[in-house]
Amino acid sequence: MESLYLLIPLSVGLVLLLLAVFGWALQRGQFEDLEREGERILQPDQAHLDAGQGPPPTAHTESSDRANAPD
Amino acid sequence: MSSSAAMAAPTEGIYSDEAVRLFSLAAIVWGVVGMLVGVIIAAQLAWPELNFGIPYISYGRLRPLHTNAVIFAFGGCTLFATSYHVVQRTCQTRLFAPRLALFTFIGWQVVILAAAISLPLGYTQGKEYAELEWPIDLLIAVVWVSYAIVFFGTIGIRKVRHIYVANWFFGAFIIAVAVLHIVNSAAIPAGLWKSYSAYSGVQDAMIQWWYGHNAVGFFLTAGFLGIMYYYIPKQAERPVYSYRLSIVHFWALIFTYMWAGPHHLHYTALPDWAQSIGMVFSLVLLAPSWGGMINGIMTLSGAWHKLRDDPILKFLIVSLSFYGMSTFEGPMMSIKTVNALSHYTDWTVGHVHSGALGWVGMISMGALYHLIPRMYGKTAMHSTRAIETHFWVATLGIVLYIAAMWIAGVMQGLMWRAVNPDGTLVYSFVEGVKATFPYYVVRLLGGLLYLSGMLIMAWNVVMTVRSGQAVPAPIPRVAAAHA
Amino acid sequence: MQVCADDVIPAAISAPLSPPAGLRVLDDPLEQGRFTQWVVGASGERLAESALQLSGLHCAACAGLIEQALMDVGGVRSAVVNSAAQRASVRWDPSLTRASALIEAVRCAGYDAVPDAAAPARALRQAEHRQALWRLFVASFCAMQIMMMATPSYVSGPGDLAPDMRRLLNWGSWLLALPVMMFSAGPLLAGAWRGLRARRIGMDVPVALALVITFVASTGATFNPDGLFGHEVFFDSLAMFVSFLLGARYVELLARHRAENALEQAMARLPEVAMRLGEGGVVESVSLHSLRPGDLVRVSVGEAFAADGVVCRGQTQADESLLTGESAPVEKGTGAEVVAGSINVGAPVDMTVLRVGHDTRFEAIVSMMRSAMSQRPAAARVADRWAAPFLWAVLLLAAGAAAVWSVIDPSRAVWVAVSVLIVTCPCALSLAAPATLVAAARGLARRGVMLQNLDAIEQLARADHFFFDKTGTLTEDHLQLREVRLSPAGERRLIDVGQALTVAASLARHSRHPMAAAVAAASPNAGGGLAIDWVDVQEVSGHGLQARDRKGAVWRLGSAAWVACGNPPDGATASVWLGCDGQHLAGFVLDERLRDGALEAVRALQAQGLQVTLLSGDTVERTALLADRLGLRAHAAVLGGATPQDKLDAVARAQAAGQRVAMVGDGINDAPVLARADVSLAMGQGALVSRSQADAVVTSNRLTDIVGARASAQRALRIVRQNMVWAAIYNAVCVPLALMGWLPPWAAGLGMAASSMLVVLNALRATHVGADTAPRANAS
Repeated sequence: MESLYLLIPLSVGLVLLLLAVFGWALQRGQFEDLEREGERILQPDQAHLDAGQGPPPTAHTESSDRANAPD
Repeated sequence: MSSSAAMAAPTEGIYSDEAVRLFSLAAIVWGVVGMLVGVIIAAQLAWPELNFGIPYISYGRLRPLHTNAVIFAFGGCTLFATSYHVVQRTCQTRLFAPRLALFTFIGWQVVILAAAISLPLGYTQGKEYAELEWPIDLLIAVVWVSYAIVFFGTIGIRKVRHIYVANWFFGAFIIAVAVLHIVNSAAIPAGLWKSYSAYSGVQDAMIQWWYGHNAVGFFLTAGFLGIMYYYIPKQAERPVYSYRLSIVHFWALIFTYMWAGPHHLHYTALPDWAQSIGMVFSLVLLAPSWGGMINGIMTLSGAWHKLRDDPILKFLIVSLSFYGMSTFEGPMMSIKTVNALSHYTDWTVGHVHSGALGWVGMISMGALYHLIPRMYGKTAMHSTRAIETHFWVATLGIVLYIAAMWIAGVMQGLMWRAVNPDGTLVYSFVEGVKATFPYYVVRLLGGLLYLSGMLIMAWNVVMTVRSGQAVPAPIPRVAAAHA
Repeated sequence: MQVCADDVIPAAISAPLSPPAGLRVLDDPLEQGRFTQWVVGASGERLAESALQLSGLHCAACAGLIEQALMDVGGVRSAVVNSAAQRASVRWDPSLTRASALIEAVRCAGYDAVPDAAAPARALRQAEHRQALWRLFVASFCAMQIMMMATPSYVSGPGDLAPDMRRLLNWGSWLLALPVMMFSAGPLLAGAWRGLRARRIGMDVPVALALVITFVASTGATFNPDGLFGHEVFFDSLAMFVSFLLGARYVELLARHRAENALEQAMARLPEVAMRLGEGGVVESVSLHSLRPGDLVRVSVGEAFAADGVVCRGQTQADESLLTGESAPVEKGTGAEVVAGSINVGAPVDMTVLRVGHDTRFEAIVSMMRSAMSQRPAAARVADRWAAPFLWAVLLLAAGAAAVWSVIDPSRAVWVAVSVLIVTCPCALSLAAPATLVAAARGLARRGVMLQNLDAIEQLARADHFFFDKTGTLTEDHLQLREVRLSPAGERRLIDVGQALTVAASLARHSRHPMAAAVAAASPNAGGGLAIDWVDVQEVSGHGLQARDRKGAVWRLGSAAWVACGNPPDGATASVWLGCDGQHLAGFVLDERLRDGALEAVRALQAQGLQVTLLSGDTVERTALLADRLGLRAHAAVLGGATPQDKLDAVARAQAAGQRVAMVGDGINDAPVLARADVSLAMGQGALVSRSQADAVVTSNRLTDIVGARASAQRALRIVRQNMVWAAIYNAVCVPLALMGWLPPWAAGLGMAASSMLVVLNALRATHVGADTAPRANAS
């Protein structure tokens, strides 16, 4: 099973890399206040609070058009 | 920020969505192409004369074209499009190197076209999902490294401190695929279109299926889970059921994925103990997979009525059911005794396609239906009814497909192992093939339905793009708080 | 986003206004230092970084709104809100804005904030948590990967696994075991080392021994398979073992942190201020800590006296209930001494500070409490008592096994010893008590009793004599209107009781005196409605309120003698009278209100055969009255007019008689007794110093929860005993097996893991306060 001579050191290396990544994430506060981070993607962009963002919409079609907040 | 200011500095404060648009449209095109080729080869399995004696469209040459087209062309473009889209929105910053992103688009299309030409011509390395010859492999590596630079660079310049969970999945997918590709495709060239694998015999097999299964695990699972974790909350307008669980899900998956490969090699020359490891850890994989599935589906908890009216949500949520089904079926099939029946039969094909059509296909369709209108200044596709129709047609197609393959597979397995009292085989191989014929026809029907659904989607996309306009999307003003 | 009141203009737009008096203290450098750090900004300027504790967050968007509100204050560089912990960290430029402006901005947005003086403690906890989580993650991740590499040797038949392949797998396992030993197991090894240096055998010693022996022997087997350590490696058992231990500790850490966090949140408040009179009559708001003897301080109505002092101008009444248990306000004329911590309820006065800080009576009580704590009877944990002998036995057994086996079959000697060490790992023992107690504490917290000390559970279960304070413990801490009585004149004028109450309440709202507050609170229209327009409202200290209504009639609300001449119609039972133009119209009988459930709680405790004593600093008569209402007289001792020393003596006497004492109190004067008792419970509404030193805080303020808590504590002890029994059985079965060599280390590790899991799961039952928590007589 000579291929394991490649695969096993490779996976050991990957494990050490992953541990380092986890440690980095932990120490940099990536795991704080999780529920709020989960909701952040749903928050309305502040851009649409400022009027006149972007060029004015031109063509209107049968589907509804919300002017300023393409996601 | 006034409009005049926006026009004076056209790229500042605006997301870079060019590559997103291009990849989304390419995904639709290659989806149709890949599924069409699939339908052709399904027909050829029922009626082999359908290659008309032309080598370029014979089954052996078209099959890898089909797999590469649906996985790397359709799936790949979807992943590029969505990851570029998601990483910008969740980091609230423009892509790190937009021109490099465009290069990845061009490069990837070149790879696909090269595949479309070389595979029918018969140039192949003979390794499943890694058939492409060495020049194309090199190009893939270059594109992939560029992809990594763009993606991780964008994360590096993010304006939000927290890295959203979807990006973890994307990141793992990118790195894993890079490692897998480089290791598995190591080859010694012997001419422009010919090479020999750096490994041989059963060693090559081990490495191939270490690659093969992790390709499924990272390309087709981790990457698309990243898509799931962004587009389901966005479409449902509710946060992920448990964000904490999604992070645990990520790490648990990473924990266990590396060693499941050997389950593709049961009862082969691979040592018994290696096969056993593959079995054990495939079973262990069940837990994190289902954790993720439950997390995604329960996002709709308290809002199930949305499923009734929103066909995009139907695509997204039903894809998770198929994901759950496949991640249950897979471990079951990796048990040696089960595998003794299923190996080399069409049950394996059924399993692959429930994951591919059900999970990968549907989550891609749902995500693209959400994404494409927004890339063209709209909030909905041209026709919601068409989406609904697509959903039902696709689902019916999948059900026909997998049912046919299950029956065929189990039947084949039983027929092949049927032994007379004196030890001779009851059935000859050809008899098994004959018995499978009707199921090949049913499977073809299922595939045709799925393709029709894809064509409906293509029409819908064309109508949407034509009536829409690529509007620059401004980046929200984020308080310096999160730097 | 909320719109601010018209008269408060956000600081960013206009010149900074001076903040409300209560907030001004935050700009005092002395106070500010407790929640603010100084950092250097990007261009080298000096910036402040303040930590605030927020309240009122109820939705996902709230955090963002608060951040925005803070960022809108000119001079704020960054604001980060952690919505899970309800904390904000704000970086601001002291040359452009003030700390008080930050709190104003948060209030303007519709929320509230107080300085987070616990920030350093919290930062420590966060660092501790992160380290623990990282260690656990490294251990379990590596354990998983090592497991994968170890599986081939388990599943392969003899000869299937080529020797070089086996070596490769062993090397891989060794590499991955390094982080586990050197990083994850660090605390375990360090703890054992510390114990050994102090010449004590702690729980960590056998664990550390097992780990070290396993690692060293496995390393030997890896690199020299033909050597003395044999060729078997056990890195997988090692890693799994470490993961499991760290996992259990992590769970405990989480519970402990949660409790500390909750306590800090409950304690967070604005710093106390005093209004110091300077030269020329200038009044400034200063931190309490900057007062000096001789300072002149103005004390408004409703404020606490900041220090021991003498009234030098004006006269008033002081509510000393928290200090002495005295439930009626005490007259303080000019020249009278006032005590730090008592509340001014009559009229604004000026006082001269006599003693501050450590010299005040308040502090004297606190130091009495501190010294009482050091004499407190020690509460020995059951597990600790057994630990040392058990561990010695384990070590001896392991050594013995190694010695015997080195004669029978030397290659197995080491592994048998390791198996013995692992299988007897006192995990079940060391987990049995803490896991149960933590789970019980969590269950109790949900029921309204917050434990600050896990040992209290055992003491509470075994307590046989309960001492109760009166004012604020058995009774609510505010007076209650019991009855309204109309005089004949009142019947004519006011028609009915409701009318009388409405009129009186609308007048009473103009005063902060506790009696007035009780009247005002009793009126159903307290929020307005039929309020009468009063003019010329005056409060006469020591007597009551006076005002004229629209028709010009003069109404008075207050003591009977002042309201009208002559005797009040019903004798002297009503404390407050409403009169008009010199006539008694209605009398309001105010009473100490028994807390809901006080009666049931006392009855329940007595029904279980416990002794209940009422200890009070209030007058003997009032104490006796309450005792009657509780039906205590006949059965129990009642001690009224008790000083803190008297209370301490009563408890000491009971303890000397061999009783285990539980004390339930709330006031500052209870603090020394709470410290001395075997288990102490402070009411949630009680004084800060009592709450912070008591073993448990009854956050629900329901006395029946104390009875429930005792039942839960007994249940927890039963579960602890079950766990101990299980641990004993398990050891009795597995140790012989290990000694005989029938238990390889991996099986020992698995057995230990399963046993500990069982213990933890059983312990979790202590969280649920279920049907079988009916109180019983003292067990054991």
